[in-house]
Amino acid sequence: MGFNMRKIIPAICLVLALGLGSAASGRAFPQAPTDEKLFQEAKLLIFDKKWDAALDKLQEIVDSGAKGPYYSQAVFYKGECLNSIKGREKDALLAYKEYIQLRDANPSLIEKSEGSIIDLAGVLYDKGDRTALKELESRLDHPNRAIKYYAAYKLSLVPDKAVASKAVPVLEQIIRTEKDPELTDRARIALLRVSPESLKSVEDRRPSSGSPRMLRIRIWKKGLKSPEVSLNIPWALADLALSAMDEEDKMALRKKGYDLNKIMNELAKSKESILRIEGEDGSIIEIWIE
Amino acid sequence: MNDCPMKNTDRLAYLSGDLEEGRRTTVAEHLKKCPDCREEVEELRRVFEGADAVKGEIREALRSVDWEALPGRIADYVYAGAEKPDKISVSERFRMWFLQPRLRPALAGLALGVVLGSLSMYLVLRRPVPGPNGGKNYYASGEFLDRAELEMARRETVDYLERSQYVLLDFLGTPSGQAAARSALSMVQARELLSKKKYLNRELEKFQMAKAKTICDQIEMLFLELAQISGDLPEAELAKMRDLVEDRQLFLKINLVKKELQNGV
Repeated sequence: MGFNMRKIIPAICLVLALGLGSAASGRAFPQAPTDEKLFQEAKLLIFDKKWDAALDKLQEIVDSGAKGPYYSQAVFYKGECLNSIKGREKDALLAYKEYIQLRDANPSLIEKSEGSIIDLAGVLYDKGDRTALKELESRLDHPNRAIKYYAAYKLSLVPDKAVASKAVPVLEQIIRTEKDPELTDRARIALLRVSPESLKSVEDRRPSSGSPRMLRIRIWKKGLKSPEVSLNIPWALADLALSAMDEEDKMALRKKGYDLNKIMNELAKSKESILRIEGEDGSIIEIWIE
Repeated sequence: MNDCPMKNTDRLAYLSGDLEEGRRTTVAEHLKKCPDCREEVEELRRVFEGADAVKGEIREALRSVDWEALPGRIADYVYAGAEKPDKISVSERFRMWFLQPRLRPALAGLALGVVLGSLSMYLVLRRPVPGPNGGKNYYASGEFLDRAELEMARRETVDYLERSQYVLLDFLGTPSGQAAARSALSMVQARELLSKKKYLNRELEKFQMAKAKTICDQIEMLFLELAQISGDLPEAELAKMRDLVEDRQLFLKINLVKKELQNGV
């Protein structure tokens, strides 16, 4: 026991010193509670869309220099605030990019940041910054499908068709492989905009499920030689297309006792035959499937 | 064809007044009786009269020529023509050669060929524009696609609000002590909803659905909070979120916006 005291005493001193040190640091740098308070206040301000006030508080956390537990979240929410302030798009993009590089970044917040980077790139491109397209194009082969799909969707909205057509392979992939109708319908609409022939090709390659391939709608207004509305769209978008018809035309259908379900049922029953509905104003709606 | 035995030379001589008196009387008597010969003589007379008129014009033209000055004018023209090649540029000579009358039919043919060729190339290479029947390809106007996207935004926002309500109720309605009961499924659903929200952002802004956008943003923020929590949600955090939702009457607002969207407002 006596021999061991030589070793034990320094160890006790070390433990005491560490204990006192940590206690002292807790009193001298009350950083964590302060950051927490600032962060909670900032989040309430964000919830109420008070972006500038929230940004001040978040900036305070970021500028404190101590990369504590609230630092990474403060960077993310800083991006959110900047994203909502007009003219701060580039700063917002940098904040999101900083966040996704952080070691303790959360996967859900990373995905949200990536989505926001894609949105911001679209805004910057619309304002004339062609380099912003790189942010969209580089995400077309992102390992996260949600990000890859969103990048393709956003790219399809670019007015320059040569650029927008780069999204075609991913949009085709969505239709071929995904089951979620919200995703596949969006991809179909995007392809109808960018490359209807690609949509035709991908729909034709899909295994037949017994349902029709194409819905055709023509609306002829009285006195006009050519149809005012002319649509050839995939059957999968039929319900959406009929809902998206002009209010007047929908009214004409309702007056004749046709609701969307009745139209769909009649079309499904009588393949190849034309459903011809005459409106009171002399307009004619022709709907058929193939 | 005149089968009359009278010779054509007699008829010509009669007209030109070269017949002797006896023969002239005989021919005149014959012409009174023979309509074919009379007709031929009349035709010949018209030809002779035409020839006489031309002869007169030629005589007039020849009379107007200054025969004494003509050799000098011809000499001047020849000398002027000899000097011309030095003054005419290559392009001018090419133009003169190219536009010479002999080549005009060929040029006209060439021009017609170019026009027809261009027209056929245009017809062959132009993008097929859907006619009234639109062919067998898919086709929809930009205006229709915008309306389809608006309809999709309306439906998906209603769906987002409904599902968010369930997930929030699951998180906030379950006491902290029953952590296990708060299913991991709700966490997965919250992440799925976060993933879908980004598609709604553009449409809610584009179609000026401001109320729906505000409520969806607030829900998104709650989900972002929840998505960061691993394991059980501490009671203090849960209470804070519950207070926030109640204070801002989030569920009431969700229901109101949902009803508006369902009614097509």
